[in-house]
Formats: sequence, structure tokens, C-alpha cells
Amino acid sequence: MKVNRRTFITGGAAAGALTFLPTVPVEAAPSDSSYATLIDLGKCDGCAGQPAPLCAASCREGRKDSFPEPPKSQLRDYWPQKKHEDWSTKRHLHDRFTPYNWIFVQQVEVEGRTISIPRRCMHCDNPPCTKLCPFGVNHKTAEGPVYIDESLCFGGAKCRTVCPWSVPQRQAGVGIYTLWQKYLPVGGGVMFKCDLCRDRLKKDETPLCIEACPKNAMQIGKRQEMYTRARELREKYDGDIYGMDENGGTSTLYVSPVSFEKIDQALAEQAQEGKRKKIVRMNKPENMLDKQKSWAYLTMISPLLGIAAAIGLSWKTEKEDE
Amino acid sequence: MQKVHRHPGIVRLSHWLVACSGILLLFSGFGQMPMYKRYNIIKIPGLSWSGDFEITLLIHYLAAVVFTAAIAFHLVYHFRRKEFGIVPRKGDLRESVQGFLAMAGLASEPQHEKFQAKQRVIYAIIGSASLLLVITGLVKSYKNLGAIVLDPMLLQLIAFTHTIVGVLFMMLFIAHVAALLLKSHRPLIPSMFSGKVDSDYARQHHPNWHIDEKHKR
Repeated sequence: MKVNRRTFITGGAAAGALTFLPTVPVEAAPSDSSYATLIDLGKCDGCAGQPAPLCAASCREGRKDSFPEPPKSQLRDYWPQKKHEDWSTKRHLHDRFTPYNWIFVQQVEVEGRTISIPRRCMHCDNPPCTKLCPFGVNHKTAEGPVYIDESLCFGGAKCRTVCPWSVPQRQAGVGIYTLWQKYLPVGGGVMFKCDLCRDRLKKDETPLCIEACPKNAMQIGKRQEMYTRARELREKYDGDIYGMDENGGTSTLYVSPVSFEKIDQALAEQAQEGKRKKIVRMNKPENMLDKQKSWAYLTMISPLLGIAAAIGLSWKTEKEDE
Repeated sequence: MQKVHRHPGIVRLSHWLVACSGILLLFSGFGQMPMYKRYNIIKIPGLSWSGDFEITLLIHYLAAVVFTAAIAFHLVYHFRRKEFGIVPRKGDLRESVQGFLAMAGLASEPQHEKFQAKQRVIYAIIGSASLLLVITGLVKSYKNLGAIVLDPMLLQLIAFTHTIVGVLFMMLFIAHVAALLLKSHRPLIPSMFSGKVDSDYARQHHPNWHIDEKHKR
């Protein structure tokens, strides 16, 4: 191919775009007026003396109308697998996420003190669960909450796989897939998780878990304000913050008097002692979408690469035809 | 046997770039629907990685770059060269029906130019599906760039369209490849590699194709 000034410029522009553009950072932050929550682990004691932490109890009671009620006839195995996920008979479980348990409290011993950690959806800023749902029925709202449309979800459970904390949980036998599961083995139920009581937020009411906390260990407010308070509290404790950067940033900030690295280590040890395979960790997960952001960016400029090549080559063949 | 030049090198290259990236997009796209673990594809030797959403997403991005660039190239290149032979025109639908009936031996073959009416119609259908996939795919890429919050209902429409049109694209792709198994279409297969068809075939199936002398080899 003969290189002339025009093809050189076209090719150079395309090559330049390839090397330069994917490194350009593209960031967008949630609005300062969206909601964020702050969980003070210096205050939370897991409601010592109570039969269950009040945040979890209040969620279970207040949100029971949202819990799945699968008819037995709809509980079928996920062909060709010989299993299905039915938590309706295990509603009593309170030490893990289930479709009936959207918030629970972990307790670990760290540096001679008991740390109680209420766990629920972090309502991430760039949630892989939302962004990667193949049918777009998992939503991130401008106000902050991430919620799943139960009427359209058919329980592929990809959201659980891509969530670093495996928050969404699947209940078989409910949802839209029950219309066709007898004839077509597609779908597995509906995914359930905390939606930060978004219906209450719309009415300017506080989420049930936060309202129920007797220690005032949980707060909700405008993002900017919560971020400022979290930083101040970290100063006060000379402690640590979790949720500000994890998974690319979230709207749930934990502040602890001890480091989250130590808390995570203690959680892992506790799981090992209890022979539990899966635990909800407090590690530092990197957002899987952020990891591949450069490639997403490259797809966005790919039409320009094609157009540049087309202009260069059509011009060249035009000249040759002449 | 005398040959006729049917597809220039640039056309063949862009066709194969779309075809190969399309296959990768279909495989990785179905992998993005959580299917491969459930339906035991990950148990096929050599495909254990297919259940990893990070890997299939990366393949999807890379193949999308090639697919999108090749489609943009195709549109702009042929527009600039004023090559519109494959763009559907008035009467193509009626002639396509006659063409399909002729394939079944129920009607006489219409008199074709370089492209048959049904080829033009199928091009428009596959092309529209591809464009829809590209446009919805670009929005999906955009929202993956960071903490970008778009209207949830718009994203739902985009995701749903992308997935459903992806399934349609797969069916069209299969139909396109299956058509080559028909005896009447088989002589076209080598032309997708060499760019040439037998001049007898061209005369018989495309009698109204005015072939320049320079295209006869």
C-alpha cells in the first residue's frame, strides 16, 4: 500500500486513538444529593440481650409482604441440574443472605473486642449486578438504591455471581419464569435483596433497619454529608472506613475503630473454625467493570476506526481508478 | 472454466471480520446470559472458562470492536463509492417471494442483477439487526465506563432489545449459513474466499448482472 499524506494522517489518527483514548479516565460520580448510609461499628453491639438484632427483625417484619411465597407445585429442579434453590423452608436462617433475610449481623472478635457488623446490599455506585443483568431488570436509581424488579426477574443469578458479597439470593418457584418453566427450562426464580426501603425513602421515611436501631449506629442522609461524617468519625476513632472505594465506591460507609483488614482476617478465621465455605467478606474487591473499562472505551471509539479506514481506503481506490 | 470477479478483497475481508467477530459475539453474549454453567457447557473439555463472566465480557468487548469497526467501514466505504447494489428497492419483497418459490421449484427464477432481490432483503434484515445490536451495545458499553446512572427504564429497554435481537441475529446467522447447503447456492461458497464465481453460474443465476470486461478473468 502506497503511503501518502492523507492515508498517513488517517492511519496516524486511528493509531493515535487506539493508544491514547483507552487510557482516558471516564468517571461519573453519583449526585451529591443522592442517599448514602453510614454504619458506625463503634456503636453497633448486635443488640446484645435481644433475641435478634432489631435491624434484622424490623426488616423481616416490615418487608414480609415482599418475601416470596412459592407454591409447592412450582418448585422444580433447574434442568439439566438436579437441584433448585428453595429457601422458603429455611426462613429461620439469620446468619447469611437469603430471599427472606436481607440484612444480618456478623460478630467477630478483633483485638480483644467484639465487632458487630450489620450486612446488607452496599448499593454500589457502579453496580456490576445492575450493569450486567442481561434483561436490565436490576436497577440503579439516581437516588442511590439498587433494586430488582421482581415482576420481570427470572432468576439467572448472574447478579449474585458478579456481586463481591453475593448479596442477591434466589428463590425458586416464583416469578415470571413459572409461566413457561414447565415447557422451557429457562430461568430459576427471582432474586431478592435489600432495596434500601426505597418506597419509604420516596415518602421521606427512614429505612426500617435504620429506624429500628436502638444505638443510632446507622444513619442515612445526603451522600456528601454522609461522606463528610464518615471521614470525621474515622478521625475520631483513628479507625478505618469501608465502602468508599470498595467495588468502585458504594453508598454504604462502615466506620470502625479497628482496621477492616483485621476484621476481614477475623471473619475468614471464624469461617474456617466453623467450617463454613462461604462468608460475606470485608476485603477490598475491585469492580469487575472498572477492570475492563479501557476495553469498553475501545468499543465506543470503534465506529471511528472503521470510518477512518473507510475514508482512507475509498479515497485510495478512487485515486487508483482514476 | 472462465471466472467472474464477484467480491473484491476489501468486501471479503470486511465480510469475514463481521462473520468471525459475530461468532465470538454470539458465543460470549450467550455466556453473558448465565447459561453455560446451568446447561453444563463448562463441563465440556476446554470450555471450563466459559462460565467466567469476566472472560466472556472481555471477549465480547474485543469482538465488538472488530464487529462495529467493520460495519462502520462497510457503510462509509460503499457510500463513498456509491455502491448501492445490495440496498433493497421497490418490488424486492414480491420478487423475493418468487425467488423462494423458485428454490422450491414452484415458480420460475426471477431475472437477477449482481444481487438477487431476496439477497437484498436478507441483507437489509441482517443489517438492521446488526445496527440495532451495535447501537444498543454502544450504550451498554457507555454505562459500564463508571458510576454512570442512566434512566433505569431506558437501560431496561436497551438491555432487552440487545438480548432479544442477539437471539434473532443468531437465528439469521444460522439461516444464512444453512442457505449455503442448498445445491443452487454451493457454487457461491468459493467466491467468499477467492472472490470469483464461474461465469456460467453468473450468466444462469444473475442474467441481468452487467459484468465489466475487466471483471472477467
